[in-house]
Amino acid sequence: MSTRMSILTDVTLCTGCEACVEGCKKENNLGKDVPRRWKLRIDDLSSTRFTTIDHPGGNHHVRRQCRHCIEPACVSACLVGALQQTPEGAVIYDADRCMGCRYCMTSCPYGIPRYDWEAAVPYVRKCNLCHQRLIKGGVPACVEACPEKATIFGAREEMLAEAHRRIEENPGRYQGRVYGETEIGGTSVIYISDIPLDFLGFKPDLGNTPLPERSWAALSKVPPLIAGMGGLMAGVWWVVGRRMKLAEGEQHVDTPESGETAKPAPDEKETEA
Amino acid sequence: MNRRLSNTKTILWALVGVLAVLTLSRFMRGLGATTALTDLAPWGLWIAFDVMSGVALAAGGFVVAATVYIFGRQEYHRFARPAILTALLGYAAVAVGLLYDLGLPWHIWHPMVYPQHHSVLFEVAMCVMLYLTVLALEFAPVVLEHPWFDKPLFRTVHSWINRLTIPLVISGIVLSTLHQSSLGSLFLLTPYRLHELWYSPIIWVLFFVSAIALGLMMVTAESFFSSWLFKHKLRLDLMAGLGRAASIVLFLFVALRVGDVAYRGLLPSLANGSWQSNLFIFEVLLSALLPAALLLFSKVRTSGPGLGTCAAMTIFGMIGYRFDVCIVAFMRPESLPYFPSWIEVAVSMGIVAGALLIFIFFIEKFRVFKHDEGEGTTAAAVDLPGRDRFNPSTMRLLSPARLDGPRRYTMAVLLAAAVTVALLPAEALHGVQDTLTPVSPPRAVEGYAVARADTPGTDFVVLQEDEAPPDGALLQALYTIDGNRNGRVSLFPHTFHVEKLGQNQSCVRCHHLNMPEDRNSACSECHRDMYAVTDIFDHASHIEAVRGNDGCTDCHRDPEGAKGRTSALACTGCHAGMVVAGSVVRPPEKGMDGFAGGYMDAMHGLCVKCHEQVVLEGTVKVAAHFSNCATCHHELRLPGPPAVDPLLLAEARSGTAGDPGEGGL
Repeated sequence: MSTRMSILTDVTLCTGCEACVEGCKKENNLGKDVPRRWKLRIDDLSSTRFTTIDHPGGNHHVRRQCRHCIEPACVSACLVGALQQTPEGAVIYDADRCMGCRYCMTSCPYGIPRYDWEAAVPYVRKCNLCHQRLIKGGVPACVEACPEKATIFGAREEMLAEAHRRIEENPGRYQGRVYGETEIGGTSVIYISDIPLDFLGFKPDLGNTPLPERSWAALSKVPPLIAGMGGLMAGVWWVVGRRMKLAEGEQHVDTPESGETAKPAPDEKETEA
Repeated sequence: MNRRLSNTKTILWALVGVLAVLTLSRFMRGLGATTALTDLAPWGLWIAFDVMSGVALAAGGFVVAATVYIFGRQEYHRFARPAILTALLGYAAVAVGLLYDLGLPWHIWHPMVYPQHHSVLFEVAMCVMLYLTVLALEFAPVVLEHPWFDKPLFRTVHSWINRLTIPLVISGIVLSTLHQSSLGSLFLLTPYRLHELWYSPIIWVLFFVSAIALGLMMVTAESFFSSWLFKHKLRLDLMAGLGRAASIVLFLFVALRVGDVAYRGLLPSLANGSWQSNLFIFEVLLSALLPAALLLFSKVRTSGPGLGTCAAMTIFGMIGYRFDVCIVAFMRPESLPYFPSWIEVAVSMGIVAGALLIFIFFIEKFRVFKHDEGEGTTAAAVDLPGRDRFNPSTMRLLSPARLDGPRRYTMAVLLAAAVTVALLPAEALHGVQDTLTPVSPPRAVEGYAVARADTPGTDFVVLQEDEAPPDGALLQALYTIDGNRNGRVSLFPHTFHVEKLGQNQSCVRCHHLNMPEDRNSACSECHRDMYAVTDIFDHASHIEAVRGNDGCTDCHRDPEGAKGRTSALACTGCHAGMVVAGSVVRPPEKGMDGFAGGYMDAMHGLCVKCHEQVVLEGTVKVAAHFSNCATCHHELRLPGPPAVDPLLLAEARSGTAGDPGEGGL
């Protein structure tokens, strides 16, 4: 399977039963929840809970999980490539590479990655879209567990089409957009909802620019910066050195430094020091 | 002898002693046990201070190297060696600090073998690593000068390194430019978390320019420190030059910082009085504008206190800038603030103390300062307190022996370590333990028992302040029970239970005070079914089970009465197993509405009620299978319908058991 896959969650169908959480915990052998001190709520995402249900009030239940961005900030942040994107669109984690800098956690616009704070050998933990199932043609455990079919799985194109179909069929019922279709370059986990889902991100309006482009704007300037700074410094050094030599030559005409062309001043200073 | 030096070293050694204990705790018990970091505040003091500020504070190395070797300002050469030493130790401290902060520090070499060149952090890591090497090579001549290294091999190495001075300096400048700026670029990925006054597309330029100013001011501060510690003469005439340069750079920084905010149209928001705006103004004033303005005056530049104040302002201000970017202006949910634990603070201080001790060691043993500062001789004598009290002619000590150098420092380390062990929180000693969920003790409140209008049963309500008591309600003693202190209490109707269980004779049924430590029975000791599961009544399947319309009267016995749940045969009339064996609460003989309610009623009542309502409103589509047990209770995925007791069913059909009108569940 190499088409980009997607989870579509229809918030209007979710009853908040947490069968997805149970399915996820079973599939990933996550065990009990960690103490509360590292999280916002008792049932917040944690290193042993990759998906959870937010209750924004009223009869609304919103499943929170890794969004598996099309252009993930965490993947571009990871300096050792421990986070990588598979052809299916899953953002997966290689614990053997990770060095634990937690830049991925800082950079995620949805605040998803979690850490094994209580462990002496900690790893970054997050949903991997059940990649181990995907490669066998399966569906993620949370999708399989959902009794209401509130969260469904398929090729991203199909899921987007389904989302738009549902919105068109019942425009009064849904917010008029598919969450995750275009924000910050789009995500693989998309939502349609009757309430605004802006609370899932750190800021309401995430814009459509993929985050990696922002850091690449600075990073792409590195080679010219090396050349420019190096050239500038070498040039200044040469000009200054030559000027000093000329000035010295005027003062002591009797001590010519014919042999040394490159570095008279520093050598002299080093030996003097 | 220099008491000041030995006292300073004692304090520094004590801090190292604290660090030693905390190091064990940090690496054995993990980050969670020792730091205040959380999932939504994954970067804290160790990144903001040890790494971000540490790298910037060590910028003096490349700034002075550029001044002396590239721009040929030989008068500043005296600052080169201390500045490069400060930089070398600064970067070493950054690397050590990083080991504490990294979750898997033994993987610190991974960027070399698993490069990911789209990561800004990768660039920073490689640059810092290479620059550390460059600094070591730049400083190597100082070490190789030592008589101990006066051997042919070392002489060759020494001369080679000397020949490489200019390439080393230039590569040092290039590497510094790259990573000083890239530390700012790291935050380009966090536009949603970093406040807009700090999130700037040119944050990398700001970091670089501020690092230059900070480097100049750190060289100044380091001169003050050494002159205080070793009682050297200050070369204020030269330091004034550093001050002038810093002033120019700081003005450039202010122009860029304020200009950037103005260009992005945020200037008006500075006057809105929010803490971010005030912090921004304070930070720019302290870090750059005030020192830059003060340094314009030659009186300030050439006076020790004046220059010292400016240096302190810049250093604290620029560290503050890094702290603001990393922590203060970096968004975290309000309910999850970050404030460093004392262990984090002590580790940072311990690393700085260690670096300072190595700094002092190099100054004492090697020629870091120029001759006219007379360091060598004083430094050699410095480390031997007690010797001056020894009278060589009488071979007697003139004063009682006191702890001399090494012994004194060892004592400091051990004492500090012992105190630290005593102060360590339990988590840092034993690791994070599971804690029981805190439960609030029941609290007595007065509430009303209100008979339900449509269904049998009683609701218990506590009035809000402005509410009038409902009609015909009975004032009762209720208790609030908050299972996990989350503020969501459930009401426990005490009076109701007293009445139901037999007035005053019933106390011991729950409060059996003859059992030690047993304050009262858990609800589930009577309500045995609290954790049991049951079906939601599915009318359609029952119709099928009782032969279609012919079977109506099997449950609805009263031909005259209205057909409804309240007038139907109780579930227990057919399904004897519904009452869990061993439950003290029996199905009522007559006139009561089923057995005591449990969690399942609450849960099912909530879901079903809501779903029914939603279906009526027609706003939400509800899946047809919602009333199946197995929808939620996977363990009930059985092939057939629930077991019906044939005996009871027969009795029910013959009309001998149960009475209509008793109410169902």
